[in-house]
Amino acid sequence: MSMWRKKCTTPEYPGKMETEKYVYTPGLHGLEFFKTLKEKDAIVATKCGETLYIPPTTLCPDFSKGEVVEVPLTNPWYIASYTIVYEDMDGNKLDKPQILALLVPEEDIVGGIIHYVKAEPEEIDVGLMVKAKLKPREKREGKITDIEYFELVA
Amino acid sequence: MTSSRVGIISIGWYGFSPSTPEVSFREMMFESSNRAYSAVGIDPRKEVDAFVVCQEDYWEGIAITNEFAPEPLGGVLRPTVTIAGDGLQCIVTAYQLIKTGYFDIVAVEAHSKASNIATLSKIYEIALDPHYVRPLYAKNPLFLAGLEARAYMERTGAEKYHLALVAVKNKNNGLNNPRASYATPLDLEDVVESKPVIDPLTSYEIAPFVDVSITFLLAGEESARKFTDTPIWIEGVGWSTETGTGAIAWHEWGRMRFLRDAANQAYRIAGISNPARSFDFAEVEDRFSYAELVALEELKLAQEGTAHILLESGDFDIDGYLPVNPSGGSLSIGVALEATGLVRILEATLRLWSMELVEEAEGRAVVASWRGIPSFSGGVVVLSL
Repeated sequence: MSMWRKKCTTPEYPGKMETEKYVYTPGLHGLEFFKTLKEKDAIVATKCGETLYIPPTTLCPDFSKGEVVEVPLTNPWYIASYTIVYEDMDGNKLDKPQILALLVPEEDIVGGIIHYVKAEPEEIDVGLMVKAKLKPREKREGKITDIEYFELVA
Repeated sequence: MTSSRVGIISIGWYGFSPSTPEVSFREMMFESSNRAYSAVGIDPRKEVDAFVVCQEDYWEGIAITNEFAPEPLGGVLRPTVTIAGDGLQCIVTAYQLIKTGYFDIVAVEAHSKASNIATLSKIYEIALDPHYVRPLYAKNPLFLAGLEARAYMERTGAEKYHLALVAVKNKNNGLNNPRASYATPLDLEDVVESKPVIDPLTSYEIAPFVDVSITFLLAGEESARKFTDTPIWIEGVGWSTETGTGAIAWHEWGRMRFLRDAANQAYRIAGISNPARSFDFAEVEDRFSYAELVALEELKLAQEGTAHILLESGDFDIDGYLPVNPSGGSLSIGVALEATGLVRILEATLRLWSMELVEEAEGRAVVASWRGIPSFSGGVVVLSL
């Protein structure tokens, strides 16, 4: 993937974009999502009619408000899609491949959580049940990384 | 007052190279623009009514980069607008300006100086949602393409070798295109036997980046006919945005609903009721192999779940029923950041011009472009001779 970048033969004038520090506001629904994750073994979703939207949306597709509902992380979730990353964007091979997946609490959910799955590449497949491995509650920060990873349900 | 038709009257380009250390991005813009103006003898200071530029601060490494746009185009103290979006969105904007009747000749420019970006992966990383996705700090921020590809395969039954066939077709198509830096003779074995980078995608199925600047001149019908005997008419335009990773709750994985939406709009304006039988060829998004197959279905050029079957049967080959990316696509030419859509429409325009004397040709093409991972945003344009 890195073959596009050739060494320039003209003098280089390096610069740095000072944008690495920023304070993001998660908003009401985002706060609720991360507060729930921090304080309970659950997240929240927006319920629009019979459909759950994860992460919670501010509005439903019909521009109505919807209902915020809790979705437990203690039950099995499913792998809706997955990928295995072997190289970074510069073509460097990773020491250990990363498995990332789209995870849903039921098969017909809209959206889902994107997170790591702890498994060997040959074990992974769409439709497999997984369970969230959460940090101990006292170490949670109200971030998506309070979920350490998902692991396959035996 | 509205102009009856909008035509492409000239195109200039510079680059199509993995790196361009000999010029700054502004010099690239000047080169492509000067070539577009010179080809039809237009003075940009007097005869171009407006300038539309697609560029993005992060790609340029400069905040408020729109201030750098007018000068190299001849647009100082003239109506200039910068859009942070794919080049096709700028074509759509220029089309609309001309349709108002208040602007007659409009220049459109977009460029890529990807070789200047020392930490490209960090820009892709910062494009990810800061709460739900970015904190994972995946080693390759393009991993979302792997999720999309797998979801598409699950939905349609396509297998890895179908995705590989896209790369084989496009890398070989590019061999006849002088602008295709990454074209190479390739067979199916080469791809399926190579190791995945972002499973199920191999390096052959992920387009590299390219430096280029492209300038288009669009004009209303009367002026278009004054400047050229062979304007390429823009018969329909559409654009749409779903959401980015900031609202993945909305996204249907393995699909590009924004392209379906944009295509419906473009077809309606162009009066096309049967897209699968309306075009001589298509130039569509293919920065990842699976994206071409998804795009073909969303553009209604293949029925739901059949694009991979038609591909395997040769329908999309350069001599097939509907050649798809006969230029070699992004897999052969490279991803040109916000200019990627302009590369697609450039290739389509040049091919339509070359078909002028082919009697059996309909002389009509569809062009579709996506802004790439992690966006769900793109445009569609219908062109005709």
